[in-house]
Amino acid sequence: MIFLHKEIMNFQKIIFFIFFILFTYDLNGAAGGACKDYGDCDKFDYSLNDIESLQRGASTYINYCYGCHSLQYSRWGRVATDLQIPEDIFFENLVFDKSIKPGDLMTGAMPEDSANWFGVAPPDLTLVSRYKGDDWIYSYLRAYYEDSSKQYGVNNLVYPGTAMPNVLLALQGNQKLVCKDIPMIAANGGQKRDEYGNDVLKEKCGFLEVEEGTGKLTKEEFDDLIYDLTNFLVYVGEPIKATRERLGWYVIFYFLIFTALSSLLYREFHKDYNK
Amino acid sequence: MSEIAGRLFSWVNDRLPIVNTFERHLSKHPVPSKVNFWYLFGALAAVTLIIQIVTGIWLIMPYSNTEEQAFSSIEYIMRDVDYGWVIRYMHTTGASLFFAVVYLHMFRGLLYGSYQKPKELVWIFGCTIYVAMMAEGFLGYVLPYGQMSYWGAQVIISLFGAIPYVGESLELWVRGDYYISGITVSRFFALHVVALPLVLIALVFLHLVALHEVGAGNPEGVDIEKYLDDDGIPLDSVPFFPYKVLNALVAIGVFGIVFSVIMFFFPEGGGYFIEMANFEKANPLVTPDHIAPVWYYAPFYTMLRAVPDPLGGLIVMAAAVAIFFIVPWLDNSKVASIRYKGIYSKVAITLFGVSFLTLGYLGTVGVTEIRKTMSVVCTIIYFAYFLLMPIYTKFETTKVVPERL
Repeated sequence: MIFLHKEIMNFQKIIFFIFFILFTYDLNGAAGGACKDYGDCDKFDYSLNDIESLQRGASTYINYCYGCHSLQYSRWGRVATDLQIPEDIFFENLVFDKSIKPGDLMTGAMPEDSANWFGVAPPDLTLVSRYKGDDWIYSYLRAYYEDSSKQYGVNNLVYPGTAMPNVLLALQGNQKLVCKDIPMIAANGGQKRDEYGNDVLKEKCGFLEVEEGTGKLTKEEFDDLIYDLTNFLVYVGEPIKATRERLGWYVIFYFLIFTALSSLLYREFHKDYNK
Repeated sequence: MSEIAGRLFSWVNDRLPIVNTFERHLSKHPVPSKVNFWYLFGALAAVTLIIQIVTGIWLIMPYSNTEEQAFSSIEYIMRDVDYGWVIRYMHTTGASLFFAVVYLHMFRGLLYGSYQKPKELVWIFGCTIYVAMMAEGFLGYVLPYGQMSYWGAQVIISLFGAIPYVGESLELWVRGDYYISGITVSRFFALHVVALPLVLIALVFLHLVALHEVGAGNPEGVDIEKYLDDDGIPLDSVPFFPYKVLNALVAIGVFGIVFSVIMFFFPEGGGYFIEMANFEKANPLVTPDHIAPVWYYAPFYTMLRAVPDPLGGLIVMAAAVAIFFIVPWLDNSKVASIRYKGIYSKVAITLFGVSFLTLGYLGTVGVTEIRKTMSVVCTIIYFAYFLLMPIYTKFETTKVVPERL
């Protein structure tokens, strides 16, 4: 702000202050999580250099999701190459239709009339990580709960009324919405106790809890499975993402050198007329 | 060998003013010896324009301008074309940074009075470039044919419908169909890659020719033409080459760093450069929850929304852009630079800058009551800056501008 002069600094301070107050007020007013009833989405940190995670994610996707959801902009061979799976092993174990060639697009295995089954046609998911976001996917796939009023007996906190059944139910187990007794926080910040020294509890509802022994996986194992699956969807949404982030450092390094050299040269010539 | 080349060159030069033009407009062109960083955005705008043209040419090759294939051809570029993603992200990042650089370039103009006599035409060509850029950016945003392309186009084209009498037929004429379709995409493609780039290049040429005729300004607002040396060259000037070129080179280096950080690490710009909804193919049956323009139109979009009546909104929005054209005749100040202008001008430009940024912010978020009030207030401040300019520039005490830089 090179044009600021002392005598108007105060005016400008006042102006900026007023707008600052308005913005703070505005931001406080605009609450509400992107994950609907779930609140804020769980944060997802992708790791596209973890090839094993991507391989596990691809396997989960092809086994559980690909039956309904195509990846129509992605090619089989590309996935095999990027995920460092030898082509023969990949086609032997993950491609069930033997007429498929490496250059083919992953156009799905769903018949045309599938919209009749779910009310809507299952969407293509190539770009889902880009229009929904990885946080959303990671939260959504873990937010199914039992709701007998729905067609498939399940509902979802992140996407209430979702048309998709919980395909991973056998792995996750039967997740329910439960109420819990939560310890209250006292005014001094510690746990609130009554006069006899017992904890004061308050019942709160809306917690997700898996019925023990109903699923093949533990909660941690299931979260890991969804992590890998989401990671794979991030990859498939932008296959060059890891390359892009790697190349970026070289280009920035180049421009740093470029800037340094050109400013040294500029300074040298600047002396000619600015002694 | 070199003798033959030399003779060939002088043969051409006798028939085409190569050396003359090169010296007059590039190598020996005198520029003020003391300028600050604000004076570098013009050069950066030129660099960005070149980036857009070159990457644009390479994008046209694999792009398909049909309703069925527009969206998937973008994904084809991102996945199957070798380094297609580099070209595409350069083009999307370039578009946003082109606007960023041009906004700073325009603000420089307002700060240091770069529109004052005799630079009125330079300013007007510049404003026309800005209008052409806005059209170019809008047309380009429709081409990937994602959800936001479709619904953004729907909103913008329906603005024409607010014009009395001819509105509806105009809307139909622009769209080429009763709804946005492949016909709209292919005509927007023609305009985006041929018509408007030609207009832009012609305008940039005029902008530069006019600038070189009257000479570049400086942050002091000193007229360097007053003191000339024996050859008629201003004493407070340096030749464009190597001094200005080296200065621009440093700026290009810094710009390159900013450009690559965005392009390689945040190509979507947090949803402001490429909106998330645009990764979903256009679907006329599903309206996105929240239709927001890309950030560079946001201030004007807020003004459009600030007025309840569609025609009124359209007029306000058009006036907000058009008012730039008459700035040379609104400023009554004896001095050019903000450094020597009075207190009113300084307060006015600060308010203007803050309200413009606020309008931009408001255009990207949903509407609430307080935001509505804020957008009306900011719209009023925006226009007050221009409309009151003849008064506050006339009745303020200015400082004395030095004779030399």
